[in-house]
Amino acid sequence: MRLPVLLAALVAVATCTETFVGHQVLRVVPKSDEELQKVQELQALEHLQLDFWLAPRGLGFPVDIRVPFPSLQPVKAHLEASGVSYSIMIEDVQALVDEEQTEMLRSSRRLPLDTNAFNYEAYHTLDEIYNFMDMLVAENPSLVSKLEIGRSTEDRPLYVLKFSTGGMNRPAIWIDTGIHSREWVTQASGVWFAKKIVQDHANNEGVASILETMDIFLEIVTNPDGFAFTHSKNRMWRKTRSKNSGSICVGVDPNRNWDAGFGDAGASGNPCMETYHGPYPNSEPEVKSIVDFVKSHGNIKAFISIHSYSQLLLYPYGYTSTPAPDQQELHELSAKAVAALSSLYGTKFKYGSIITTIYQASGSTIDWTYNQGIKYSFTFELRDTGRYGFLLPAKQIVPTAEETWLALKVIMEHARDNMY
Amino acid sequence: IPESGHKYYLQFSTEDYRTGEDAGSCLATVLYPKKKSPPVVSIKCSRTKDKKEILEEDNRLYQRIRHQTKPITGNNIPDSYGHIEPALEPVWALAVAGSSSIMWEKSTETLGYSLAQVKAAKQWIRKDEFIEFDYTVLLHEIPTQEIISCHMRLTWLPGHPLKVKHFCASASHGLDEGSGAESGSASAEKAANF
Repeated sequence: MRLPVLLAALVAVATCTETFVGHQVLRVVPKSDEELQKVQELQALEHLQLDFWLAPRGLGFPVDIRVPFPSLQPVKAHLEASGVSYSIMIEDVQALVDEEQTEMLRSSRRLPLDTNAFNYEAYHTLDEIYNFMDMLVAENPSLVSKLEIGRSTEDRPLYVLKFSTGGMNRPAIWIDTGIHSREWVTQASGVWFAKKIVQDHANNEGVASILETMDIFLEIVTNPDGFAFTHSKNRMWRKTRSKNSGSICVGVDPNRNWDAGFGDAGASGNPCMETYHGPYPNSEPEVKSIVDFVKSHGNIKAFISIHSYSQLLLYPYGYTSTPAPDQQELHELSAKAVAALSSLYGTKFKYGSIITTIYQASGSTIDWTYNQGIKYSFTFELRDTGRYGFLLPAKQIVPTAEETWLALKVIMEHARDNMY
Repeated sequence: IPESGHKYYLQFSTEDYRTGEDAGSCLATVLYPKKKSPPVVSIKCSRTKDKKEILEEDNRLYQRIRHQTKPITGNNIPDSYGHIEPALEPVWALAVAGSSSIMWEKSTETLGYSLAQVKAAKQWIRKDEFIEFDYTVLLHEIPTQEIISCHMRLTWLPGHPLKVKHFCASASHGLDEGSGAESGSASAEKAANF
C-alpha cells in the first residue's frame, strides 16, 4: 500500500476520534523461514492491536507494522529475542499525521504571499481577507494602518483600514462593505478598493490627490460573524449573530439598528425577521463600534455604506418622506456618480432617496450619519438586479468594483472640493 | 382610482434570460382592487423572435435534458460563488421559468420576489415524453428581505404550457413547519419560451 494513501486514511481517522501518539511503524524484511514465522506469530497476537500496513508475503518482501505505543516494548522484545532485525520507519505516527493535516489545509487554501498574488477575481473567506489586510499594511506601512474599532458579538475583531499621508485628524471619507453578510460582492469589492487606493497612491494618480488633504477609512468586513456564517452554514444569512432574549431566532439587521427613526415603520420588531431592528439602537457591537468611531473622529465628511443587489445609489432619508435639507445637491451628485459608473461597462443605476427609490426603512445607517452632520451620506446597492442576486458570479467582482470605484471617486472629489 | 383601487401603467422591455439580447417590449396595465384580491392585468407584447424560432430553441433545450441517461439531480444552483455547472444550465433554466409562475402568483402591490437560488433539483423520469422535475427553490422577498423556501413540481413538453405546482413555507428562518403556508398550482398562460 502506498504510504501517502495510508497516511491520508489515518488523517481522516485522526480527525474523528483516534490518536496515534507514540505509535511507530516498524519494517521487517524476513530473510529466512524462521524470521518469517516469527513475524507471522505477531499477526496472531490480537491483544497487541498491530496494524499491518504490509502483510507478510514471503522472503525478501518488507513487512510494515504500525505498533501502538503500549505494544512497542513487547513487539521489539519478541523480534530482538529471535534475532530478527527491524528498522523504525516512522518514529511517531501522530506527528506525521499532524504535519500532513496542516499541509493539506494550507495547500487547499494556499495563502498568497503578497497583495499582488492575491486573487481579486474570487470570493474569499474571513481569514483570507484578514490576512490580505495584514499584507497590505505590511507592504505599505507609511500609507496604510489597521485599526480595531471593536469586537463582534462572537468576539471577532472589527478592523478598519486607514489610508493617510499624514496630518492630524484630517477630514475623512468612510466606506464600509459587508454590513449584510450575504452580499458577497461588497466585501470582495472592498478588498479591491483597498488595493486600488494603494496603487493610485503609488502611481500618483486617481485618489492620490484626495489623499493629499483627506484620509480614507475602509471597513471591508463590517459584519464578520454573519460573514463567517455565510461560509459555514447559511449562504443567505443577512443579519448579525447576536442572541435575542426570549427567542430562538438569532440576529439583528445591522441596517435597522441605527438611531434614526429607530423602531418606526420600515423595520421589524420580530427577532425572527430579516429586518429585525434589535432591542434598542446600537445594541449591535458592529453598529456601536462605528457610531463610537464616527463620533470620536468628528471630522468625517463623506460616509458611504455599500450593499447589494439592485443597482441603486441612495441618499437619506429612509425613515421619513420629509426630504433631506441637502436633497438637491445630493440628487445632482448622485446623477454625476451614476453617470461615471455607467461609463465603464454600461451598467444602469437608478438613484434617489431611500424611501422614494426602494422602500421605507427605519434605523438605517446613512440616516443616522446624515443627522450627525455628515452631508455626503450615500448607500450603494451594487450588481445585479436579481438574475443572480446575492450569488453574483465571481467573474463579475472586478468589473463591479471598477465601475463602483468611479462613482466613489466622484463623491470623494466632490466632498474634497466642497468642504464644510 | 378613488373607490376602486390603484392602477399602474407599465411600459417595459424584455430580454433573453440566457443571452441578454432584446426579446421585445410590452405595454401593460395592472389594477390592484381596494379589497384584497388578485390584480387585474392586461398586457400586450411584441416579440423579436417568431414562434418557429422559439419552438426550435425549446426543442434544443428539451433534447439536452432528454439526452441524459440517468435522472438529473443538482444542488445549489448557482453555488455560493455564483457558478452554474454547464451540465445543469437547462435544469436552472426550467427552474427560472417555473419559479416565475410562483412569483407571479405570490407577488402583491407591496411584495415582490426574485429567484435567489435553486437549492435542489431532481428529475422524475416519466413514461411519456414529458419532462418532470422536483425543485426546492429559494425566493428573495422584497421589502421584507426574507428568503422563502418553495417546493415546486414542474412538467413540460415543448409547445405545451409549463405546468407548475408549488408549496411555499412561511417566512421563519429555517423552521420548516409554517402555518399559513400557501399552496397552489398554476400553469402559465403562454408556453414557457426562452
